[in-house]
Amino acid sequence: MTRPGDTRRSGVHRALVVLSVTVLAALLVTSAATLPFTLNWYDVQELGEAVRHAPTSDPTVSFDSFEPSVSPGMLAPAARYLHAASSWLGHDDLGRSMLFRLLPGFLISLGIGLASAAIAVCLGTFWGATAALVGGNTDRVMMRIVDVLFGLPYILMVILLKIALTRPLSALLGGQTAVADLIVLFVAIGAVSWLTMARVVRGQVLSLRAQPFIEAARAAGASRLRILCRHLLPNLVGPVIVYATLVIPQAIMQESFLSFLGIGVTQPTPSLGRLAADGVEAVNTFVGYWWLIVYPCGVLVVTLVAMNVLGDALRDRLDPRSQMTSLV
Amino acid sequence: MAYGRSAVDFPQSVVHAPVVDAMFRNLLLICTLFLCLLLSFVAFSDSQPRADFTYVNPSGIHTLDPARMSWTQDFRVALNIWEGLTSWDRKTTKPIPGAAHFPPTISDNGREYTFAIRDDARWSNGDPVTAYDFIRGWRRGMEPGTAMDYAFFFTDHIEGAAEYVAWRNDVVVVLGGLRALRDGSTPTEDQLRRLANHARVRRKLTNDSIELTLPPDAASPYAWRALADDLAALELDWGALIDSVLADHAREIDERFAKVGLAALGDQTLRVRLTRPCSYFLDLTGFPTLLPCHGSIEVLRQRYQGLPLTAEGLVVYDPQWTKPNYRRHGYDGLVTNGPYQLTDWVFKRRARLTVNPYHRAVDEISCRTVDMLEYDNVSASIMAYEAGAVDFLTDLGVPYDHELARLSRTGERPDFLRCPVLATYFFNFNCRDAEVAGRANPFVDPRVRKAFTLAVDRRSIVETVLARGDRVAYSFVPPDTIPGYQPPRGLRRNIPEAKRLLAEAGFPGGVGMAPVELLCTSNDVRVGQALARMWRQMLGVRVELRALESKTFAGTKARGEYMIARANWYADYNDPTTFLDCLTTGNGNNDSGYSSLRYDQLIASAKLLVDPTVRAKRLQEAEAVLVEQDCPILPILHYVQLIAVAPHVTGLHPNARLWFPFRYVSVNR
Amino acid sequence: MILRVLSRLSAGVVTLACVYAITFVMVVAIPGNPFQSGERKMSPEVEQALRARYHMDNNWAYFGEYLAGAIRLDFGPSYTYNDWTCNQIIASALPVSMLVGLLAILIAVMVGVPIGVLSAVRRDSWLDATTLALVMVGISMPTFVVGSALLTVFAVHLHWFPVGGWGTLAHLPLPAITLSLPFIAYIARLTRVGMLDALGSDFIRTAVAKGLSTRVVVWRHAFQVAFLPVLSYLGPATAQALTGSFAVEKVFGVPGLGQHFVNAALNRDAGLILGCVLVFAALLIVLNMLIDALYAWIDPRISGAV
Repeated sequence: MTRPGDTRRSGVHRALVVLSVTVLAALLVTSAATLPFTLNWYDVQELGEAVRHAPTSDPTVSFDSFEPSVSPGMLAPAARYLHAASSWLGHDDLGRSMLFRLLPGFLISLGIGLASAAIAVCLGTFWGATAALVGGNTDRVMMRIVDVLFGLPYILMVILLKIALTRPLSALLGGQTAVADLIVLFVAIGAVSWLTMARVVRGQVLSLRAQPFIEAARAAGASRLRILCRHLLPNLVGPVIVYATLVIPQAIMQESFLSFLGIGVTQPTPSLGRLAADGVEAVNTFVGYWWLIVYPCGVLVVTLVAMNVLGDALRDRLDPRSQMTSLV
Repeated sequence: MAYGRSAVDFPQSVVHAPVVDAMFRNLLLICTLFLCLLLSFVAFSDSQPRADFTYVNPSGIHTLDPARMSWTQDFRVALNIWEGLTSWDRKTTKPIPGAAHFPPTISDNGREYTFAIRDDARWSNGDPVTAYDFIRGWRRGMEPGTAMDYAFFFTDHIEGAAEYVAWRNDVVVVLGGLRALRDGSTPTEDQLRRLANHARVRRKLTNDSIELTLPPDAASPYAWRALADDLAALELDWGALIDSVLADHAREIDERFAKVGLAALGDQTLRVRLTRPCSYFLDLTGFPTLLPCHGSIEVLRQRYQGLPLTAEGLVVYDPQWTKPNYRRHGYDGLVTNGPYQLTDWVFKRRARLTVNPYHRAVDEISCRTVDMLEYDNVSASIMAYEAGAVDFLTDLGVPYDHELARLSRTGERPDFLRCPVLATYFFNFNCRDAEVAGRANPFVDPRVRKAFTLAVDRRSIVETVLARGDRVAYSFVPPDTIPGYQPPRGLRRNIPEAKRLLAEAGFPGGVGMAPVELLCTSNDVRVGQALARMWRQMLGVRVELRALESKTFAGTKARGEYMIARANWYADYNDPTTFLDCLTTGNGNNDSGYSSLRYDQLIASAKLLVDPTVRAKRLQEAEAVLVEQDCPILPILHYVQLIAVAPHVTGLHPNARLWFPFRYVSVNR
Repeated sequence: MILRVLSRLSAGVVTLACVYAITFVMVVAIPGNPFQSGERKMSPEVEQALRARYHMDNNWAYFGEYLAGAIRLDFGPSYTYNDWTCNQIIASALPVSMLVGLLAILIAVMVGVPIGVLSAVRRDSWLDATTLALVMVGISMPTFVVGSALLTVFAVHLHWFPVGGWGTLAHLPLPAITLSLPFIAYIARLTRVGMLDALGSDFIRTAVAKGLSTRVVVWRHAFQVAFLPVLSYLGPATAQALTGSFAVEKVFGVPGLGQHFVNAALNRDAGLILGCVLVFAALLIVLNMLIDALYAWIDPRISGAV
């Protein structure tokens, strides 16, 4: 049966969704499992002429560093095996293992995406629901504020927020600057992504309020709070999840863009965007550093595609008639 | 199954088809028309044939006002379109004749220079270059409001300049305070202090029988705030007071300036009095900040109520005077006295220089037109060079520059030339604050600094990590570059000694030392990580990198919120003091906060010496304190910059100051 | 009608005023010296005099002065690029960005709409699947990656286009195509969803039952409805495209406005930041009003809600 607005697709689409889930899960498991190891290795430089070579299966060539701190023989067998993996995807121009940067980089990007989405969802839901529920002039003013904030150029605001917040926050955290930088990054991205959420939620609440079952609940003498908690919020879950799935890849993309500008994740912390941006900057006509571009950009694009496919599938399931795409 | 019960039905049907069709077509039509308009705009704005010679100025021109510029790429354009009293040799960068006869008459005590300006020195509109033009230009270089980073050239060297500038600054601050009072905001402590000491303001207050007592020096900000509130509560006509202060000041200003050691003895003779003998003064006179300025700029001077000053007490000109086609109030575009003149300048795109028809060497110049292109992205400019669109690149700083250096070294690319630059890349240790961001700062102890210095293998950083052919630095001043000066040997790597010093300072094997933060920009991560690794391995100290965006980095470093911070220094003139002055107590560029009585005394005494050999010896002694004993800085390398000169171009020579006069260039395609 | 336009206009002015105030607060709050450019530091006295010169020593006075200037469409001098006024900077960059942006939007509509319609009509076919996949990739590729790839292939290796810079028509296609890719993806997606919605609705069934040809049903009836969401997306999208994308500009060396959004913030160039933000906001407001007017024109029922 074809319902109006049913955008579910069969066959190919289902396969795509399954593939996306598999890819994301595989990336997640691999990077999470190796995290204890990669956290210690992601910024280790292995110096010497050899490191500027393409990926290799023979880790010894990259080990003629000027002061060999770790020789493979000193390591436990498991670590030795992991260590051998360091040159599978080659090294970057600083002599750091691409693999060991990609793995935590994926997690960091994912974390930024999730955290920004969480901020956007919380703020947006709160704002939108409040505006719709209170109504009247409050609603008008709150939505006017959203309109105004929409008028601000996104990228400029992220940069200004980042510059303004980094110092106070790192002072607050007692000099934990790397952490402060990360927090500021996703707060800044989240703080500019909640606007659409607020609009969506407000629209949803307004239309829900007009529904017979809310009228019925009200007629039955349910309190405002009860109506909110028992009737409105459960019905908001769908659109909110759908929107969140859109925000996550967007935030990852924004981070990559900021990294390209040199103000994303601070060095030496890796992220997919940072790595892709580094790779793009190394494009030249003299030497082909293909592995610096192909691997990070590949992982970035695969991740984003998988997330978008997943978000699409979720949208089809939860909110088939949504025009959400138009708001992004 | 659906969670959300969508209530709003999407508007359907009843749309009149022809309407949309017509609308769509109209929309397209409008768009296309608009597009054509814009297209023609673009086509018209940029349609010049290629110049004789094209080069890329990385990141473009920041300003063409000689008084304000401080970037090498700006200097390069300025020195090609203006000409100072002296100029620099394109190979050795030694002073050579410029707009004045060479050498000038120097008095026996070495403090008075008399320059005779050449008869054939001409501006690009045919006017003769006069001594007054130089005084005008130099005055802009020191006046508050137009002066920038290089104002110290005048205040340090020219007699009376420091006093004049201080007097001017005082009034600017007083006026700022009065304006704040007039506008009902709170003046700052500095403004109040100077206000209370200003004669005119005092007299006014006394006339109104108002007693103004300043809080004691150690008073809290609240005391100052209270004073400000008291003043604001007075029913005084601050606007009138501002006007009278300004009028007094304007009356006095020329008389005061006459006390500065700059005098025109007729049109063609300039006499300069210095505060002390200065062996490198003829080098300075070739510097952009000391370029002349044509008199036509006077019509652009901003005036307030007929006074030659602005309401803020500043001598300011319409900043657009550097445009070749700026015409207003009788101003007829930029006039310069160099071998070239600026004929076109499009913001962030390009500038075109053409020969100055009145320049004395006009017939010897082979390149009649020069195009300067701006690429924000060095990599893109290299691609343009490879494609033949550009003849000359002054910077090849890209992530793969080690590969370019290798190509240059092996001779595969003879067009990539190496310029050993008079500049040092180093790291500052914070010697000032015992605590940084809540952590104890171990670097206040010279032994820790020395230990960290001794643990670094600079050779492997320069040759293995960077591999772009820079010179290893053991001293602040680059060796073998400044005539008559050899820096001390400096410290080589010595791990046992480093460990011993660290233990002596209370951190045996690095135990007890909290993680150290190394502040840098994203361009320094390569070196930063190598350093962190060496210190971790050799001294057992954990070093964390913190890479910041460049403006934030500069601010953080200047406030001293770091333990170790990257820095670099480019020499302004061919003398060791351009480096060594930075680390004297209270110097604005002394980011490490290093303060040593012995060092200050050595530098101060060397400045008074006239005999070059004795002076060099004294400076060497001072630098030895710096790099062998106290170690406030850790020099890593002296830059060797790669430039690319297309094979069909001759006349460009690598030199220590990246100075490339285009008048000697010839292109044989 | 005139009343409605007036009220929209006044709302726009209020929005602009708020945008100005918010940006101003942020600009004042960020630390950093806009005059400092290099490694060498200027003396505090010099900085003080410069701040006095631009009245930046008193935030309220500066707020009022800048606002007064902005109302006269004069955004004052740039502090980083002292030889230029913000007006000159914006005037030299905006046409470049607009040209690239307009071309990108045109490409996006020309390519995205047919793709969306086709994939909706041929639902679940290989065409639909391929389109979906391409759209996904289009949305998921950061522009700087796509741009660099295009540059490397078409400019560096094939020499079809110049490597970078600006000045001739040949500089135009690569940045425009790069900029259009995400828009193509979104427009195709929107059109597809809208078309599916419309094709499944009753009036289309009626039209089909009446025996109208597929072509007429698709383009004359269903598409009219499906185009509405695309239209409302075009407002913000065009504003975004017209004010330039920094990534595209950086990759291709296009001297557009996008770079100033980023560089002005990094340079703490207060005047230029405010100028850019105001121009962007004004453009957005005007475009949204235009789109709303078009909307009302197409579907008179909506006009009440505008």
